[in-house]
Amino acid sequence: MKFSLASQALILAALSLLPGIGQAIYFRDKISWQSSIPPSEMVSVDRAREWGDNAIWIDARPDDDFARDHVPGAISLNEDRWNELLPQFLAAWSPGEKVVVYCSAQSCDLAREVAERLRKTTQPPMENVFVLEGGWEAWVKKNR
Amino acid sequence: MGSLGEEEQMRETSNVERPTSNIESPDNASATEVGRWAFDVRRFLWRIVDFILAGVFIYAGVLKALDPVQLAHDIDHYKILPWTMGVGLAFYLPWLEIFCGLALVLRLFYRGALSILTALVVIFLVATIAAKIRGLDITCGCFGHASQNWSFPTHLALDLAILVALAALCYCSVARARANASPTLTS
Repeated sequence: MKFSLASQALILAALSLLPGIGQAIYFRDKISWQSSIPPSEMVSVDRAREWGDNAIWIDARPDDDFARDHVPGAISLNEDRWNELLPQFLAAWSPGEKVVVYCSAQSCDLAREVAERLRKTTQPPMENVFVLEGGWEAWVKKNR
Repeated sequence: MGSLGEEEQMRETSNVERPTSNIESPDNASATEVGRWAFDVRRFLWRIVDFILAGVFIYAGVLKALDPVQLAHDIDHYKILPWTMGVGLAFYLPWLEIFCGLALVLRLFYRGALSILTALVVIFLVATIAAKIRGLDITCGCFGHASQNWSFPTHLALDLAILVALAALCYCSVARARANASPTLTS
């Protein structure tokens, strides 16, 4: 049985869908289709505020933005000056304390990257690291 | 008896592999043998290219299929597609590469696989160059963590090499199809 080039390509494309769908179902709890951060690693402004002194806030935005304004008590920790700022953060953080990381808005990626790096590179690996839903924009909206 | 003789004559004169077989001299016979040998060697070499490319795509596909979450983030770093589409692609692309690689090995849906893989490599090359021009710091994720520390020129050189090999296989496949269509070219 002979297939045209287009039919062959279509059959291969359709066949690849099947395991892809299976894998999407298998990984449904590990990845969100709405946001690049899994729901279990995000926290809303209200929830994070409820944690009070049990949480430490990290500002993942560039230095200029942090200098302009930031969440009261937040510590600056960004990718640009990671090695310089990490010791300051570790000195302020006590084990067991929750960490809330934020960047400018929901669409920014800096908070996720900083949170990921904290989880993977610190020894022992940090747990309870959360990304603030809506970022700085959401915090401003709720507080001003 | 008469019809058998005719049939025999037909077989002699219509043989597409050996169009001049009915006037074969010893010299012609050895030339045909050499030609056929060269043809077989060429086919064998092209099969090796098939296997190498198939291996590259199956390996890359398996590595990516093992960690689709990381692949979704790698796709997102290109800042071309919305997150949702990136996630969809992260689940789909590895399997497309694996199936196309298997198709190259098995020579099943061969031309379809070649055209899909060529299109994928071209799209990937354009996206990589565009990301570089826009100053994005990207990890292609093509070979999982193994490719994380590769430089941009290394990525580019590898992709161009794959593209050239795919283009050569496409050309060879078309040439073979034409040769099969016109019988005198097969020898």
